[in-house]
Amino acid sequence: MTTNIPNPPLRQRKRRRGGLLPSPGWGYLMIAPALIGLVALYVWPFLTTFGKSFMDVPAFGPGTFTGVDNYTELLGDGRFWQALRNSALYTAILLLGLPVAIVLAALIEQVGRGRAFYRILFFLPVVTLPVAISMVWRFIYNGDFGLLNYVLSMVGVPGQYWVADATFTIYAVGAVGIWMNLGINLIILGAGLQSIPQDLYEASSLDGAGRVRQFFRITLPLLSPSVFLVTVLTVISALQMFDLIFVMLRSVNNTALADSKTIVYLFYEKAFVEFDQGYGAAIAIVLLMVIMAATLVQFRLQRRWVFYD
Amino acid sequence: MRNGKRWAAAASLLVTLAATGCSSAGGDGKVTLSYATWSDDQKPAMEAIAKAFEDKHPNIDVQVQVLPWPEYWSTLQVGAAGRTAPDAFWMLADQFPAYATGNQLLNITDAVKAAGVDLAAYPKAVLDLYDVDGKLFGLPKDFDTNGIWFNKALFDKAGVAYPNDSWTWDDARAAARKLTNPAAGVWGIAAPIDRQGGYYNSIYQAGGTVIGADGKAAVDSPEAISGLQFWTQMHADGLSPTLKQLSDTEAVQMFMDQKVAMYFSGSFWAQRLYGDQTLRPNVGVAPLPKAKQRATMISGILNAGYAGTKHPKELAEFLIFASGKDAAVIQAKSGAVLPAYQGAQQGWLDAMPEFNLKVFVDAVDYSVPLPIAGDAAKWTGLETQYLAPAWEGKRTAADAARAYNTAINEVLAQ
Amino acid sequence: MTDQFLRSRRLERAAAGSKASRHGEWVIHVVLAVSAVVMVAPFVWQLLTVFKSNREASQMPPTLLPEDPTTGAFATFFGSVPFWAQLTVSVSALVLRVIGQLAVAALAGYAFARLRFPGRKLLFGLFIVMLMVPSQLFLIGQFEIIRDLGMLDTIPALAIPGMFSAFGIFLMRQAFMSIPAGFEEAARLDGAGALRTFWYIMLPMVRPTMAALAVLTSLYSWNDLLWPLIVTPRGDRRPITVGLAGLQGQFGTDYPTLMAGAFVASLPLILIFLALQRQFFSGIASSGLKG
Repeated sequence: MTTNIPNPPLRQRKRRRGGLLPSPGWGYLMIAPALIGLVALYVWPFLTTFGKSFMDVPAFGPGTFTGVDNYTELLGDGRFWQALRNSALYTAILLLGLPVAIVLAALIEQVGRGRAFYRILFFLPVVTLPVAISMVWRFIYNGDFGLLNYVLSMVGVPGQYWVADATFTIYAVGAVGIWMNLGINLIILGAGLQSIPQDLYEASSLDGAGRVRQFFRITLPLLSPSVFLVTVLTVISALQMFDLIFVMLRSVNNTALADSKTIVYLFYEKAFVEFDQGYGAAIAIVLLMVIMAATLVQFRLQRRWVFYD
Repeated sequence: MRNGKRWAAAASLLVTLAATGCSSAGGDGKVTLSYATWSDDQKPAMEAIAKAFEDKHPNIDVQVQVLPWPEYWSTLQVGAAGRTAPDAFWMLADQFPAYATGNQLLNITDAVKAAGVDLAAYPKAVLDLYDVDGKLFGLPKDFDTNGIWFNKALFDKAGVAYPNDSWTWDDARAAARKLTNPAAGVWGIAAPIDRQGGYYNSIYQAGGTVIGADGKAAVDSPEAISGLQFWTQMHADGLSPTLKQLSDTEAVQMFMDQKVAMYFSGSFWAQRLYGDQTLRPNVGVAPLPKAKQRATMISGILNAGYAGTKHPKELAEFLIFASGKDAAVIQAKSGAVLPAYQGAQQGWLDAMPEFNLKVFVDAVDYSVPLPIAGDAAKWTGLETQYLAPAWEGKRTAADAARAYNTAINEVLAQ
Repeated sequence: MTDQFLRSRRLERAAAGSKASRHGEWVIHVVLAVSAVVMVAPFVWQLLTVFKSNREASQMPPTLLPEDPTTGAFATFFGSVPFWAQLTVSVSALVLRVIGQLAVAALAGYAFARLRFPGRKLLFGLFIVMLMVPSQLFLIGQFEIIRDLGMLDTIPALAIPGMFSAFGIFLMRQAFMSIPAGFEEAARLDGAGALRTFWYIMLPMVRPTMAALAVLTSLYSWNDLLWPLIVTPRGDRRPITVGLAGLQGQFGTDYPTLMAGAFVASLPLILIFLALQRQFFSGIASSGLKG
């Protein structure tokens, strides 16, 4: 968040002009719509979900309190652990795409003419419906007549049933995830690159440093806050992946789906297809804890590699 | 105070926004019933039935909705829980118990009696699927039995005689072997994990059952295992596209692409296969092969109503009409499906004279109701997980059957 | 604003460009062009497939260009999906959500940035925490509230939860905080009330951020699948994402029809993007949040 850095002189000025401020009533009134919405649609649902995770809620009718049954069932459910593993694997694959994004962002910044053109091309998947993207990729991934297998066959690599064989599904979907998010990552990293002072490069050029060396000595350290931001966002969104699995794997008879569910897919299935809402709620709460833990760990680790000037 | 008024204006901004677009129902005395279905193929027939009903009841407006199949049940369930379910909708036997015991379905027993409907007009096996202590929660719309859909051109090419009613499993296997031609990309049979068109039938043909007389799973009996082996052996011998191929491209599509010579499945494909002009002359129908005995699953859609409807009386009238004789004739003519109403079936046969569809009607005589017990939707959902290893040859059919049997019993015990 | 920044940097870069070696520029272009081909290939393949018959689309080896070009796929798509009705739903929900989000976020963002009232920090902290919580966790509760308000199957049901995204409030607060205090003081000394200052002085100054927020909200709204699926049980008021997802159930492997649907349903937003690229880019750059 490039505009996130608070401006110290501004803060001092604000303190000085305290007497000119309108009454607190205005403040409360202006945040009232947001606050009402937040409480009604976010805080309250969170609390009810939390409550339901301790209940057995049937398809129709009221639930009964069952303590931590849902959680113990969850922890003993192989399908839950598999979903968690799938989500973690998907997240790891998406993180592997970040170095690619960094290099591409740096390259795009280097070109003079055609930069806007590349930006648009790389951004197209971002503004395309995820459902549409899933359909196109499912076609490309078809084991019998998909484009990918055809291209692979030309270079002598045997084809696979990418979205029908549970050995490959998460990797196949992960590749689409990288492809889909590249445009956004490029823009965020591009903004970070633009905030690196040009004179640093000029000074190191005078010292005789080449482009590659500049990239590792100047670009990468100074870009690290943006890289950190992109990493955090990637982890949070990747752990919540749902759409791609929903459309790419949910054909009538896809036998690979059973082993390829992500944690949010499992949640959707439990809460809204099987209508086992208590169990679904428990999944959601565990997912929240996983995301918070992952984010916390990243903030802890950032001290070791993120460079703030 | 001037500012005070603006306060209020600002505060009401959001309320107004939220209210925009909240439509309220018009009150011109006309009753509107929604009718949810999942088949685009059948939409014209359903709309014709709605129209015929509206002609008789000018004050009722029936709106046919087609929901996408993958979302049909979740949508219906959320709607029922949210008190906004469609008034009338199609119901299937494995979903029925949850709705019936959850008091979500309109009881039309009295209305049916008052209307003088003769229940003998419906196949007993289908009525039994939806029976709860003699109460009626709808009437059968159609029924389906299974047969062999086969490709005459592929049979001719391989010099194999067409299937007939004397066929046994061995005949089917031998034919599949001769029909399979890897070089041409042709397989003898499509063998997906398909309970209704596939392995349930073979389990009963072998003399087994899915749910035993004691109400517990019986998939691990020797007969049932041999019923599963009929299919796993097809894969072991390479006579069917692999499960992965069938996941990428559905079996019916493989059949339509003329890549598989035989597809064991239901009468409900008739209209789609008939609609493909190139394919039509090549399609043949024969009864399923027998083993120890002849058997086919029979199932059917129920025209059911939502208990929370605002117009129970009109809804009951519509349900009775939609499953009645006039509606059956409309359905039959369209070729959409085999109507459940006795006597109207001839219209369906006549609609597609090139196909020997009588096979499906005759199959009623040896049909078995689709096995349903407990939370059927839940245990059938586990099917792929347990049976796929056997289909892929990673596990014996017997091991897979025993594991699945245990899993079913765990669900039934809940 | 990042936006202005982009422009000034570009001038600088243009000046520096002449210094860059021609050789290096070539290598970079080759690498980028190859990557761009990978990025765009799926779209090209999609467009080529649309004009093929299903038999041609599912043959191996595939044909590059359609042998017998047909527009049958579009006809099938428009014949089976109520596209215009669903487009209307998508657009209505989008407009309502954008307006609501802008109103809610601008008001709250301004209050959090420029006004002082007890509990301000605590409340803002609450909003920030909500940014971290996965949206799926709210689904059941939000569904129940929408249901209990009797709003299922309405356009507002699709739009309302998205109006209150904590992210929008965060973004607007940042924008208001970057405005020098002098403008406000001058207005207040002239006797303008809080609302008048907000509306006539402050709001126009954050217009670029509002445009960016509008663009981002549109993107989220347009792409939403899970929420519309749940709050429109009757199925007659669903947005185009749901319609497209349903297409797959119906035409499982009729690839030309699926490709046509995917193309037609994506086209509106792609066109808007091409028209408003700068807002999209600065929106993403200033937010750093993805959907």
